[in-house]
Amino acid sequence: MIDSGKNKNSKIQRKHKRCQAILSRDANVECVSHPTKFIAICNAGLSTGLQKETILEEALKYGRVIDIVMLPNKSYCFINCYNEDDAKNIFDNMHGHAKLGQNETIIYLSYIKEIPEAPNQYNQDLPEGLIIINDFVSADEERILLEAIRMSEEPLENNLLKHRRVKHFGYEFLYGINNVDPEKPLEENIPVECDALWKRLEDKVPDRLALVPDQLTVNIYEPGQGIPPHVDTHSAFLDPIYSLSLESDIVMEFRRSNNNHVPVVLPRRSLLIMSGESRYAWTHGITPRHMDVIPSKEGGGLTIHHRTRRTSFTFRKLRRNRCDCAYPELCDTYAAEQKSNEDKLASVAAKLEEENVHKVYDEIANHFSETRYKPWPKVENFIKSFECGSVVMDVGCGNGKYLSVNPNIIEIGCDRSEGLLQVCSQRKCHVFQCNCLNLPFRDNSVNGCISIAVIHHLATEARRLQAIAEMARVLVSNGRCLIYVWAKNQEFNCEKSSYLHRNRNNRMQNTKSVSNENTQSLSSKSELVDLPVHMNRTQFQEQDVFVPWKLKSSGPKSIETTTEDGGVKKEFLRYYHVFEEGELAQLCARIESIEVECAYYDQGNWCVIFRKK
Amino acid sequence: MKLITYNFLTSKCIRGVKVGYPLKLKIVQKEVVQTDFNPEFITRLLPRLDYPTVHMAAELVDCAEGVPKELGENYAADQDLLQKLHHILLEIDIIEGQLECPETGRIFPITQGIPNMLLNEDEV
Ligand SMILES: [Zn+2]
Repeated sequence: MIDSGKNKNSKIQRKHKRCQAILSRDANVECVSHPTKFIAICNAGLSTGLQKETILEEALKYGRVIDIVMLPNKSYCFINCYNEDDAKNIFDNMHGHAKLGQNETIIYLSYIKEIPEAPNQYNQDLPEGLIIINDFVSADEERILLEAIRMSEEPLENNLLKHRRVKHFGYEFLYGINNVDPEKPLEENIPVECDALWKRLEDKVPDRLALVPDQLTVNIYEPGQGIPPHVDTHSAFLDPIYSLSLESDIVMEFRRSNNNHVPVVLPRRSLLIMSGESRYAWTHGITPRHMDVIPSKEGGGLTIHHRTRRTSFTFRKLRRNRCDCAYPELCDTYAAEQKSNEDKLASVAAKLEEENVHKVYDEIANHFSETRYKPWPKVENFIKSFECGSVVMDVGCGNGKYLSVNPNIIEIGCDRSEGLLQVCSQRKCHVFQCNCLNLPFRDNSVNGCISIAVIHHLATEARRLQAIAEMARVLVSNGRCLIYVWAKNQEFNCEKSSYLHRNRNNRMQNTKSVSNENTQSLSSKSELVDLPVHMNRTQFQEQDVFVPWKLKSSGPKSIETTTEDGGVKKEFLRYYHVFEEGELAQLCARIESIEVECAYYDQGNWCVIFRKK
Repeated sequence: MKLITYNFLTSKCIRGVKVGYPLKLKIVQKEVVQTDFNPEFITRLLPRLDYPTVHMAAELVDCAEGVPKELGENYAADQDLLQKLHHILLEIDIIEGQLECPETGRIFPITQGIPNMLLNEDEV
């Protein structure tokens, strides 16, 4: 018989070596043979389904732990021990023994020189506007409050929501629409036992944070239960929102966009106040699990908290109005108004483009042309990059400033504006008139396309997408297209665009509403749709705006105001959809036949070069 | 409108039109504008064009003499032919006239040298 013990040992060693190799290659961590206070678990991590609390529970049996570092999507993780003795004890007891790997396989440990940088999640600042008042209620009050809700007519136990038990007072929170009906108050008000809390709150926080709520939601969480990340509907409730934790501590997870994650320990009998940014821009939730990893009370390390039943009282005051917060990303009012604006724009898109783009360019063609003579270098370079004999189409060629950049190729321009085309024609350029939504060119026929400052004049996303798809259609395979659109952000990377530089007065930014313009006939032009009028040479406040063009002369269809020197000044409103970062590239990505080669910011524009497959 | 542009234009954007090419060209007024002849440029441009339509246009402007119905393999060496094609494609400017969709008969007017290819919302 072969000595199976020895054989097994060498097998473990081989596996161990392999894991160490992966570790040093992937995480750039140096494994050492002598004990250090840092330990790597080489073959288990977040990607194998290992949880922080599971490791900690096991490790704490053998020594003190300062932190567990787990990296997303990795099959290894790290233990930062209190000192070398703790580390040695943990190592000796867990290495080759603890079954924390996938399908309960044995884990392999290594001492390492240093743990990769990963911020201790509990050392982060709390989200802006988040306040925790410890011991907000006494143990006696806790008991009285719990009795108050149990004595209410409807037995709480009957009220089963998917993951927890819930009861509402004052108004019912309707989970189907994530809102309340202010017209339908419940018979049962917030229990009078809560009344004392609001006077107490007044003494502890500034006035603006001390509301008297009219709605209460009570949640009972058993161990293992949680609530998915959510934001309390902006339009339903005012700022702030209060949450009183009773019976047990809990860890609440706050998240903002993808990369901000702040777990917050809510101690039993504390009051959590979510105000400002933390109320509007962060989601909060409770991960369904039986234990939490929390900072230990002494020593600065971590410890395990086994959950027991927790009852939370969430107090809110109905808003009864639209939300006017400054955090659009999670705002239901903002989303609804955006949607309604988009619907309105969609219903008048063609007419709006005719009135506030085509007609305006025809009117201002000559003046416009005088101000557009200098080609942008990057556009020029793109056109010069085509080889001799190529055919390049300039969609929205304007006064034709890019039509004679490269003498070795044929450039054919098109535009919607007759006025501008006549300027081109006088310059002996090849042009025709069309709308960029329907290019009257053969499929797969041109080597290149440019579309400079055109697509931002289309009033819906569907139309902007169609314009790009048309250029993709007429390109030959491997043909390339350059698109420039105006950026909403005119100060990308702290570099003011020349558009802002030309604002000599350096006025403060603002978009004025059409109605309070001194030039009243403006509103007659915007009968189609109510959009803000952008103040020239300032940052954009909205994506869909009217941008004025001031002209000194006379003519119809314009606003005339007498200037100080007695001259007559006319103002035309051009419709623009200014682009957010990434928006143009994302539009292009929706067209299957093309591939975005690069996206960049230039002269206050977002730009994309794509290639047809 | 130069005939190089004509070579690319279609009416296929009209709803229901399958090919829309070539458009029927009617010339009311044309001009000849001299431009520099670059044989390499014309040589490289030709493969990108629809040659039958080049020939058809050449006949229309009475310049088809010496221009073959099909482009032979050695056209690049034929300076005479390249010169003729240069003239046809880049020097003849249609000032007034019209383009007609071969499938629907829709007319696109050419005025002051600019073809108007605009379509109404209900045509697309
Ligand atoms: Zn809001």
